Amino acid sequence: MAKSSTPNGIGRSASASDVNAEASEFGRTGLRRRMATLAPQRSLILGVALLIALVVAGSVLVPGFFSVNAVRSMLLSASLLGIVALGQTLCALIGGLDLSIPFVVGAANVSLLYLTANRGIPSGIAVLIVIGIAVIVGVINGLISHRQQGQSLVVTLGTGTALLGLTQIITTNSIYSGGTIRGTVPGWITAIATPDGGRSGFGFAPSVLVWLVIAVVAVLLLSRTWTGRAIYAQGGNPVAARRALISERGIWVTTFTISAVMAAIAGMFLLGFSGSAFYDIGQPYLFTTVAAVLIGGTTLIGGRGGYAQTVLGVAILTVLTVVLVGLNLSPAAQEMVLGMVLIPLVAAYARLPHPRLRV
Amino acid sequence: MSSVRRFLAGLWRTSRRQMSLLTPFALLVVLLILCAIRSPILFSGGGFSGLVGESAPLILAALALTPIAIAGPAGIDLAVGPLMNFINIGIVIGLSQLGWGSTNPVLVVCFAIGVGVLIGIFQGAVIALLRLQTVIVTLAGYLILAGLNLVWLSEPSGTAPTWLYDWLWSPQAQQVFSPALFVLLGAFVLWALLARSTFFRNLRLMGSDERTAYTSGVRLVATRIGAHAVAGVYVGLAAVMYTALIGSADPKAGAAFTLTAVTALVLGGASLSGGRASGIGAVLGAVDVWLISYILTTFRFGMAASYVVQLATGVVLVVALVAGGLLTDLARRRRRMRGQTG
Repeated sequence: MAKSSTPNGIGRSASASDVNAEASEFGRTGLRRRMATLAPQRSLILGVALLIALVVAGSVLVPGFFSVNAVRSMLLSASLLGIVALGQTLCALIGGLDLSIPFVVGAANVSLLYLTANRGIPSGIAVLIVIGIAVIVGVINGLISHRQQGQSLVVTLGTGTALLGLTQIITTNSIYSGGTIRGTVPGWITAIATPDGGRSGFGFAPSVLVWLVIAVVAVLLLSRTWTGRAIYAQGGNPVAARRALISERGIWVTTFTISAVMAAIAGMFLLGFSGSAFYDIGQPYLFTTVAAVLIGGTTLIGGRGGYAQTVLGVAILTVLTVVLVGLNLSPAAQEMVLGMVLIPLVAAYARLPHPRLRV
Repeated sequence: MSSVRRFLAGLWRTSRRQMSLLTPFALLVVLLILCAIRSPILFSGGGFSGLVGESAPLILAALALTPIAIAGPAGIDLAVGPLMNFINIGIVIGLSQLGWGSTNPVLVVCFAIGVGVLIGIFQGAVIALLRLQTVIVTLAGYLILAGLNLVWLSEPSGTAPTWLYDWLWSPQAQQVFSPALFVLLGAFVLWALLARSTFFRNLRLMGSDERTAYTSGVRLVATRIGAHAVAGVYVGLAAVMYTALIGSADPKAGAAFTLTAVTALVLGGASLSGGRASGIGAVLGAVDVWLISYILTTFRFGMAASYVVQLATGVVLVVALVAGGLLTDLARRRRRMRGQTG
């Protein structure tokens, strides 16, 4: 994918932040202007500061915060959220949103167990089938979202709902009880998502390693390859991207396909973690992925942000959740606190420019 | 029957003028024909009042989403479901906790609208003054309100005021001119007045091109907050009708309701890029969504029924989007062939 001959400046020259910075020359002076050019770093500094503050708060307020078991389970849940959030990050970078993620997570979760336990398909092939379905969903999402610019939120909502409905119809007549399918989960999938690493002998969940590999590949993809720069160009300035002969449709399809595949992988890991399949297991990811992307500092307008930022966002969210659980807050109260944290954070670094500064 | 035909003909003419209304209108006709075959009882007085009563919350919620969609860009109020639930709990439980009681219809309706408008103004002010994206702020609103609802009330309980319950369920309400119909008609009249106001014209201008609106002297902050205030009025009314429908308070239904209302809005031809969304479209979309699930319940799918509804809603949503896009392209091409611009 990496073409050394292509101009490396595509992403940079077309990015929205540059356009905004240029426009703000008119209105801002001195310190304020320097603050504006510092915007990306500002989100990083704020994020790291918040993370440190949360860790300190956790170690003071929550007994056993640094215990081996707590750290292990934090790593596991961070790895799952991190894998899913990669897709949401890419979609946000091109100015879209993928709301089909929770449904794909649920569908992958249920259909993997259905295929292995109910249909007797070997687990390796079943995993490939599930990923194949995810690719199909992702391609459909990308194609239609590209055609209906600005409607990706609703398109993915539609495909996701339809996919989960279809999965439920197919699997309902099997061993069914209250939205849960029972059966024996393949051993290696359980091992991947066991907090202490189970049979793998790592001492932590192998899913963390998977996340690490995915994260490194994603960061390199975004910063070093032609495809990565094209994603930024597409989000920052679609017209300029078209002039640079970037296939708009190709970028949308690639992005949404990666997103669906990541969601499917997380859904299968969740099966290993919980030991039984559940349709609605992906529901928390509907908004936590968006929150992780936003807290990290990737805007939903496109063109600004990156996966490294999202990793920071995932870390913040995970530690925040542990602190809130440690304070004995109910899931509902946790949700409330998350909502209250979101606005000040986003207000600190993802404000839109005033109309008079827009071009 | 002739009045129905005249009404449909009028709708047809409107949808010819506005291409975006063509898809929801065609879908409505198909669904009504299916209804006539599967369940003709819908066309009796009782059936019609049932339709009005059961679809009223969705229609009003879709109308609430419309001004925010017009204000754009990507103007989706994700908080609409939890906010409706919040007011729902307020009517059933909060009013007596406050010591006001819920026997006075005027007080209850004013309370519902007041809470909706206040929270709407607050959200709108955060969006407009801090210049944040609508989706982000309403996502935070969604999380806060959904959490608050569950903290307030852990499971469905309580009973709606008797007079409110009777709006839908008393024997007198089982006729064409039911109280629910009057609420809806009132909401439509208010909408028709608003849609002709300067405020709405400014709102549409701001949604299509914020910069042009700014240079034309439109007060952006006030207009955006106004859009959210109007939305609040309709969320309040939706909450009243929802309380009448379920007869109690339910803290959990909000999430699904947001998604259904957004489906209705988009099915009604609203463009989320801003500037283009109509009240008629939202109402048509909401009725379509309700009819789809209604028709599907007339089949016997047994345990899979809710999944079939889910599948069908998703497929119809995507197909309607694609069809709407194709039709718009077609219209644009035809206009270009005629040598007109725009």
